[in-house]
Amino acid sequence: MSGAREVMLPRVVRRIFFWVAVALLALWSLAPIYWIVVSSISTRIELYTVPYKHWIPQSPTLQNYIDVFTTGPKYRAGGFLPSATLLYSGVRNSILVALLAAALLSLLASLAGYAFARLNFRGRSFLFFMMLLLVPLPIWVSLIALFQLMSVVGLIDTKLGLVLLFVAYGAPLYVWLMQTYIRATPRDIAEAALIDGASHFRVLRTIILPVAFPGLVSVFLVAFLTVWNAFLIPLIFTNSESAQPLTVVLSLFIGQYEVAWEAMSAAAVVTMIPPIVMALFFQRYIVRGLALGAVQ
Amino acid sequence: MLRIRSEERTAYLAILPVGLLLVLFVYYPAISTFLLGLTDANPRVQGLEGVAHFIGLRNYVQTLGSGEFWASVWRTTLIVLMVLPLELAIGLGAAMILNEEFRGRAVLRTIAIIPWMLPPLVNGFMWSWILNGDYGALNGLLYQLHLVTGYHHWLASPSAQLFWVALAQVWTRFPFAMVVLLAGLQSIPQDVVEAARVDGARPAQVFRSVTFPMLLPAFTVVLAVEFIVTFQIFDVIWSLTSGGAAGQIINPFTKAVMILNYEVVFRNLDLGLGSAVAYLILLLSMGVGYVFVRMLYERGA
Repeated sequence: MSGAREVMLPRVVRRIFFWVAVALLALWSLAPIYWIVVSSISTRIELYTVPYKHWIPQSPTLQNYIDVFTTGPKYRAGGFLPSATLLYSGVRNSILVALLAAALLSLLASLAGYAFARLNFRGRSFLFFMMLLLVPLPIWVSLIALFQLMSVVGLIDTKLGLVLLFVAYGAPLYVWLMQTYIRATPRDIAEAALIDGASHFRVLRTIILPVAFPGLVSVFLVAFLTVWNAFLIPLIFTNSESAQPLTVVLSLFIGQYEVAWEAMSAAAVVTMIPPIVMALFFQRYIVRGLALGAVQ
Repeated sequence: MLRIRSEERTAYLAILPVGLLLVLFVYYPAISTFLLGLTDANPRVQGLEGVAHFIGLRNYVQTLGSGEFWASVWRTTLIVLMVLPLELAIGLGAAMILNEEFRGRAVLRTIAIIPWMLPPLVNGFMWSWILNGDYGALNGLLYQLHLVTGYHHWLASPSAQLFWVALAQVWTRFPFAMVVLLAGLQSIPQDVVEAARVDGARPAQVFRSVTFPMLLPAFTVVLAVEFIVTFQIFDVIWSLTSGGAAGQIINPFTKAVMILNYEVVFRNLDLGLGSAVAYLILLLSMGVGYVFVRMLYERGA
């Protein structure tokens, strides 16, 4: 009997410890996000109370969102454009560049992935190796000459330039990913269609990609997320509202002496919406691809 | 014969766009940046139309002999030394929690992955607001819990700045460690664990002699990847401690190697030197990453 007690008691204690650990993990992951969301819907008066105590806003408001999207230059460190203009163009640029780059990457990665997975051609393993070599390569080692190149061809501060850069620097990873997905599709139907005279592109489009569709979705979403979150490439290759994405716009809002935190928080929450939506609804498509591309 | 040739043509056509982009935007600039590192190119000295001179490895010698370079390597090393153990500990703890069956597991997994999905730049900003000395949440919380009697300026001292940079980086990256370690945990056959338990091993013993050795490959992956990622830390520093004003000021106390590289290239316009620094950083991070993997594998074998 006493033996049973000894087993029972630690089990209860272990359960308690376990649920405390669960709570701590949730708190650690969510608390910073909660705080920034609360900041974005608090009034200035509540937010700047010392000592702070409005963890749940007494009078929640969307005014900060309206402010950053409508008012003038007061939230901005330098420059002449009103913050609202910058924010609008930032949202537009981020969406356009991320969508285009992700779409282009999905297309090109499907084509090249199919070639590497299913076609025989001279130099295949050499070319594959030369491509894989670039997966862990940081953009830094090509940055300076790249900047000169982009200036010469007039692609600095253009959305097209950003899209091309993101596609070029993402391609090795996504081609590799796509070829693993395509390799996993059944061979026999595709072979049969080829014997019946279908072209390779037709086979890819009508037989292989429908089967490898989850992989394609994964490539698209990971690429979108990576481009949306990117900061260094746009920081260096853009300098005006015609191409600056949200991350760069946000960095411009960090003033030298003062930051309007409630407005900044609203802008930051806007930037965080697509990634959070993806984490909530498309997690299973993203995690593997993101993990494999970790070194980039 | 004809069939094979058409297959080859299709293949080359299919990889042509990617190939062109890689040659034009990656290989060509990477090689010319390396060559630039062997010159004294600096538009500020030679003018925009000026010609740079070949100076061999002098940029590399200068960088390796520069106190500023090694100071930034040291700062980066400190950040790495704080990030890796913390991230591994939190990632392992989270993975062990998620390896249990309980209600709400899927929800917790989703919640714990979110920090990784967010732009690192925004994470840095978020932590700078949390740590804010006048109105930040950390001060508010500690004050309300009566753990402090007044507000602190958490980012006041240089070493504190490094610590908070490391913590923000851990917050951003721990889900990666969690995901990899969770996959490792789930690949451990349950009967081995059960057998150890039946033999009378206590949970701690099971962990030390069964779980941990079998997790070693996953640990290796996390350490190597996170070393490289953290060594090249940039975004989080930029928004957390760079000093703001769109980076017009570069905070010397958190000048990690990539921030130094940015300064050399885009502030000082020292293109030759900057190229050499970039390649040295590549060598350092990949080299040490490789040594990590070797060491851990040899210990595991």
